Amino acid sequence: MIELVNVPSLLTIQDLGRYGNQKFGVPVSGAMDEISARLANYLVGNKDNFPLLEFVLRGPTIRFHSSAVFAVTGDVEVRLNGIPINPWESYWAKRGDVLEVGTLKSGMYGYIAFAGGIKCEPILGSCSTYLRANFGRALKTGDILKLDYAILTGKEGKKLPEEFIPKYSNESEIRVVLGPQEDHFTEEGIKTFLGSTYEVTAESDRMGYRLEGPKIEHSEKGADIITDAIPLGAIQVPKSGKPIIMLADRQTSGGYAKIGIVARVDIPKVAQTRPGGKLRFKAVSVEEAQEALRRRERTMEALRLFLLGELRAYKLKALGEEIVAFIKVEKKR
Amino acid sequence: MFPQFKPAGDSALVIIFGDTINESINRKVHAVVRAIEKANPEWLIEAVPTYTSVYLYYDPIKISYSKVIEALRPFLLAKPKEEEKKIIEIPVAYGGEFGPDIDFVAEYNGLSVDDVIEIHSKPLYRVYMLGFLPGFAYLGGMDERIATPRLEKPRLKVPAGSVGIAGKQTGWYAIESPGGWRLIGRTPLKTFDPSKSPPSIVKAGDYVKFIPISEEEFRELYKQEWGEKQ
Repeated sequence: MIELVNVPSLLTIQDLGRYGNQKFGVPVSGAMDEISARLANYLVGNKDNFPLLEFVLRGPTIRFHSSAVFAVTGDVEVRLNGIPINPWESYWAKRGDVLEVGTLKSGMYGYIAFAGGIKCEPILGSCSTYLRANFGRALKTGDILKLDYAILTGKEGKKLPEEFIPKYSNESEIRVVLGPQEDHFTEEGIKTFLGSTYEVTAESDRMGYRLEGPKIEHSEKGADIITDAIPLGAIQVPKSGKPIIMLADRQTSGGYAKIGIVARVDIPKVAQTRPGGKLRFKAVSVEEAQEALRRRERTMEALRLFLLGELRAYKLKALGEEIVAFIKVEKKR
Repeated sequence: MFPQFKPAGDSALVIIFGDTINESINRKVHAVVRAIEKANPEWLIEAVPTYTSVYLYYDPIKISYSKVIEALRPFLLAKPKEEEKKIIEIPVAYGGEFGPDIDFVAEYNGLSVDDVIEIHSKPLYRVYMLGFLPGFAYLGGMDERIATPRLEKPRLKVPAGSVGIAGKQTGWYAIESPGGWRLIGRTPLKTFDPSKSPPSIVKAGDYVKFIPISEEEFRELYKQEWGEKQ
C-alpha cells in the first residue's frame, strides 16, 4: 500500500489505453508518453501496460505502507527519505519510507511505476483514467493506493543505460503522414504547414495541444468534413487555420479536416513539449513511419530484456560512432 | 471511385465508401465492419464505423499498410444484410425541468410545444455512428421543421439522458457533460454503462424511436435504471 502525502498537480492512474470501444464513443486515453511509461514499468520488471502513476510537471510525495520496488521516469529530482536518488532507476522502499518527486526540469509528463502495478478495477478492460466520463478520478492528497502482488527480490537496482534516457526538447521536428483529408487544403496551405514553426499554446491538455502559428489555408472543400474518426496524433485544422494535435484523451470522432497524423514514434516528443515549445512538421511516407516504429520497438524489446537481466549491454565503437550492443546472457545450468 | 483507401497515420487506415451522408453508404460501412470483426485478424486493433467510412486501427509491428489493404479485399465484398431493423425504444419525458429549451424550440419554429413533441417522436432515426462522447449516437432523420441553432453559451453541466437539438441534428447525452444543444427532454434510461459489455444500449446501424412518457413514468423508470431518485 502507498499513501499520497502530497499531490501538487494532476495525478492519475494510466496504462496503455482502452481499446475496442471507440465504436461506442469511448476514448482510448492511456499514458501521454507511452515510452516513459513503458520504461518505468520495465524498470520494475512489469509488463508494458501495468497501471502506473502519471503526473503533470510536479510529482507527488508518497509514503510506503509496505515494501515495494518503484521507479520514476522523467527529467526530475527524486528523493527517498530525503536522500537524492536517480530517476530511470529502480529502488526498494520499505514500510515508512517517503518518496518525494520534484518538478520536471524538462518535459510535461512523468511516471512512477511499482513492481506488480497499481491495483485497480478495470473499466472496459483498462485502468486508464478518463476524467470526462468519470473513469477513475484525479488522485488527491490522502489517497491510499493498493499495489498488486509481485515478487520484489531482484527487481531493485535496475538502471536504464544513459544513452536511452529520452531527452525532451522544447523545439522538435515531428514526422507526420499527410492525410487523410489533405484535399481539404490548398497546396499553399500544406506548404505553410510543413514550412513553418508552430508553438504549443497554454490551451493544451491530455485531450490535445492547440498550436499557434501561420494560418493554414483550406481548399474550396473547407474546414469541415463529414464527421469521421480521430486517430492518435491527428492534426485537425478548424476554420481558424490553427492546428490542433489530438492526443490520449481525444474524442473518438470529429468534424474538422485532418491535414496529417503524427507518426507514432514522435507522439512522446509532442506530448512532452510544454506550452511555448516549438514544433516543425516533416512529411514522411506511411512506410517510413512504420519502419521507424519497428526500429523503435526492437530497441524497446532489447531494453526490456536488458532490464530483466536476459541481455547484457556493451558500449562499442563502430565506424567511429559509439553504439550500444545487446548480447544474450548465457544461462548457467 | 469508391471504396478508397488512405493511410490515417502509421497505425490506422480509412476505407471510404462515399462522400454524402446516406443510408445505403452507411449500411455498406456497417456490413464491412461486421465482416472484419467476424474474421478478427490478429493484426486488428479495432474497427470504427463512421458515416461514410471505416477507420481500421491495426498493429504496424505485425503488418504493413500495403499488406492490410491486400488482406481487406475479401471483406469489401460484404453485402448489407436484408436485416430486420433493430429498433431501440428510448422513453423521453419532454419539456418542463427535463427539457428547459423546448419552449424556445417551439417558438423559434413557430410551433406549439405539442407539435415539437409530435414531430420529434414520430420518425425512426438511424444510428449512423457513435462518437464525440461515450455512448453518444449520431442520428439521422430529424424533421427540419424543428431544427434550431445551438445555445450561444453552452451549459457547463447537462445531465445524462438529456435529449437535444443542434441545428438539423438530434441526439441525447449518454453521460453528464458540458453541452450546447437545445434540451427538449430527458430519457430515464442509462444508455451508457461502462460496467456492461457492450457499454451502450445502441450501436451503429440500429434505429431509435423516442417514446413520450409522463413525469411520473420518468421517475419510476429512473429509479429502476439508476437505483436512486432523480
